[in-house]
Amino acid sequence: MAKKINLEMSSVENREMRLGTIIAWDGKASDLVTESDYDARKEKKRGNVCPGNGGKACRLCELNTPFNQQTMCANAIVECQIGNLTDCILIQHSPIGCAADNAWFNLAFKLGLARRHKPVQNLQIFCTNLLEKDMVFGASDKLRQAIREAKERFNAKAIFISMSCSTAIIGEDIDSIAEEMEPEVGVPVVPLHCEGFRSKHWSTGFDISQHGVARQIVKRNPVKQPDLINIVALWGSDYFTDMLKPLGLRVNYMIDTASYDELAQASEAAATATFCHTLGSYMSTVLEQHFGVPQIDAPQPYGFAATDEWFRAIGKIVHKEEETEAYIKSEHERVMPKILELREKFKGVKGFVMTGSSYSHGLISVLRELGIEVQGSIVFHHDPVYDSGAEHQNTLKYLVDHYGDVPYFTVSKTQAYQLPQVFRRVQTDFVIIRHQGLAPEAAKLGIPALAMGDEHIPVGYDGMIRTGEILLDILARKRFNQVLQRHVSLPYSDWWQSQEDPFILSRNPEILDEVLKEKAGA
Amino acid sequence: MAKEIRQIAIYGKGGIGKSTTTQNLTAGLVERGNKVMVVGCDPKADSTRLLLGGLAQKTVLDTLRESGEDIELEDILKEGYKGTRCVESGGPEPGVGCAGRGIITSIGLLERLGAYTEDLDYVFYDVLGDVVCGGFAMPIREGKAKEIYIVASGEMMALYAANNISKGIARYARQGGVRLGGIICNSRKVDRERELVAAFAQELGTQLIHFVPRDNEVQRAEIRRKTVIEYKPEAHQADEYRELARKIEENTQFVIPKPLTQERLEEILLEFGLLDGLEDQYSI
Repeated sequence: MAKKINLEMSSVENREMRLGTIIAWDGKASDLVTESDYDARKEKKRGNVCPGNGGKACRLCELNTPFNQQTMCANAIVECQIGNLTDCILIQHSPIGCAADNAWFNLAFKLGLARRHKPVQNLQIFCTNLLEKDMVFGASDKLRQAIREAKERFNAKAIFISMSCSTAIIGEDIDSIAEEMEPEVGVPVVPLHCEGFRSKHWSTGFDISQHGVARQIVKRNPVKQPDLINIVALWGSDYFTDMLKPLGLRVNYMIDTASYDELAQASEAAATATFCHTLGSYMSTVLEQHFGVPQIDAPQPYGFAATDEWFRAIGKIVHKEEETEAYIKSEHERVMPKILELREKFKGVKGFVMTGSSYSHGLISVLRELGIEVQGSIVFHHDPVYDSGAEHQNTLKYLVDHYGDVPYFTVSKTQAYQLPQVFRRVQTDFVIIRHQGLAPEAAKLGIPALAMGDEHIPVGYDGMIRTGEILLDILARKRFNQVLQRHVSLPYSDWWQSQEDPFILSRNPEILDEVLKEKAGA
Repeated sequence: MAKEIRQIAIYGKGGIGKSTTTQNLTAGLVERGNKVMVVGCDPKADSTRLLLGGLAQKTVLDTLRESGEDIELEDILKEGYKGTRCVESGGPEPGVGCAGRGIITSIGLLERLGAYTEDLDYVFYDVLGDVVCGGFAMPIREGKAKEIYIVASGEMMALYAANNISKGIARYARQGGVRLGGIICNSRKVDRERELVAAFAQELGTQLIHFVPRDNEVQRAEIRRKTVIEYKPEAHQADEYRELARKIEENTQFVIPKPLTQERLEEILLEFGLLDGLEDQYSI
């Protein structure tokens, strides 16, 4: 029997346990495909014995790094997922410091609402502001009070509670409090176990958010809406409507910028798709396993072939195969002249991609469709398998099989200190970066950097054109970045900057001791 | 609907015999045809020794420390006496880290790995002496143990601890479904012990569910890393544990305890002659 995601439990099995996620690896993309052994893991997901080559749990080897730089944690992800619902409240049960990044998440939320043509509003987050006494005596009453306030002052349609490191250590029982308060406030109260130390990668926070929504918000008695397609997304522009409307379909985005009712109707949709399996695989699989909503059985919609297959898979589910074929044909004809024009302009241009895991695989396809050479990429983590275990979700293999190998493929969190080495061994004219904090770091190295905040830019046929046009703008900044590089000094020692291998401290940890000894002697 | 597993937490003062009682009781329940899992929640990790025939078991937290995320259920769950499933939570070295969080981590891990299978009739949590923080209350949270038994004796400190534990239970019981099923007296052969503990239990609003007499067979079995039921099935003491198992199996008296004030507790002790007065106090 296939291993089903367990919705009985309030907490999620971590990504590293569920999928075997790693956060540090360096080599050729094709080698990572082999080592990941997706097919073997897929069997295990289906409840069969893992025929893999890597020992009992088929552990994918990863490098250990002595330094850890990071821009967020699972708790922060819950903030920017659940905190970005329009009519629900997230209560951060934590000291106020955990709420420090609300300011920039608020900006992202407002932008997202504007992109989706929704009224712009502030994000909906409370914090219980815990202090010394709360840590010693427990803070359940503060939480109860916050739940009441969320209902009274904002008439929240649902109230979510996020666990922080501190409340998890003292064992705050948010499950019981949620259960106890639900009848009083009359709306779902959803505990989210997202304490930062729980998982080595923030992406577990996506699963935790989706788990809470699936457990307590999604309708149990759906009335089917056969023209509705769930898109598991972040804050990106509404390009999916442009893509699906010609087939008579409507889009239901989740989780960011959604309302309670939009989340609740997820079980009524005809199918679920996503722009990135790293984000969407858990929700898609839960909706499939527990609510009978199928997930799109196709590669991610990046580049011609994959987008074709993506549309075909949707067409099949909604029984519009013929219309879909005609649509694909007309779309090819429509975009091809522009693509050919762009390919001409990108002759000889090289690019680099630095984003979340399977999103990078898609983005590299788009660049290669545009004729851009990609020698390297950094993904912030790597999942050797996704929750569905579906063949089509082996996105790295799809990239390597259809668009060729990536010689310098690096798995590394947002570790800015490795960038000098990473960019020395590849040739690149620009870099696309999803996490804004890193874009200035690349820019300081003289490389024009595109901070791609709107993740839907490269999606579908038009996505190739959108990406190409933005890149033309970015390439025009080359001179500016070179000037910037001359005037900026990096915070690293000469020794570190002279190194060739970004993972030398992982491969030869003794070097660090020698360098420190030398420094002490000097 | 799936049958509900009876999840039971055993509390009591340190050294009172919680682990010994739990394991002998488990053996008794197994004899009656039950499938039991014992989860040791004490950093000392000695809650399953008699069922496993030794202290060979690697704890959940040791496994977590050494293998990271690569844990399978069989790494931490060992089969002992007649198929009893044994888990030791373990904990950090004394004086460092957070043992309470350790229990939260281990029980969470057990749930995620699917240790709570439907064929189980009972799960026992053998918990550290006192509910000192949120972590030690983990076994009695919603969805886990709904029944608690306190192991006590006629000694003052044992009753004092039992009363304190009752305060914790009362707190949790007001919010959820956890109830006290009774006091198990593990006799220390103090005067009028049975009457004293029964009176104390009555005052708490609960029952003395069973009086386990002191018997050296327990010691002899322990040295051989066995429960009495396994070591000497025909011994009188084995029957005592069988009787305890029967009473727990048939128990229907589950209450929210009414903890005693310090004054009332001392009054009862005086009443039963434990505090006869300083003139009788020859030990100090």
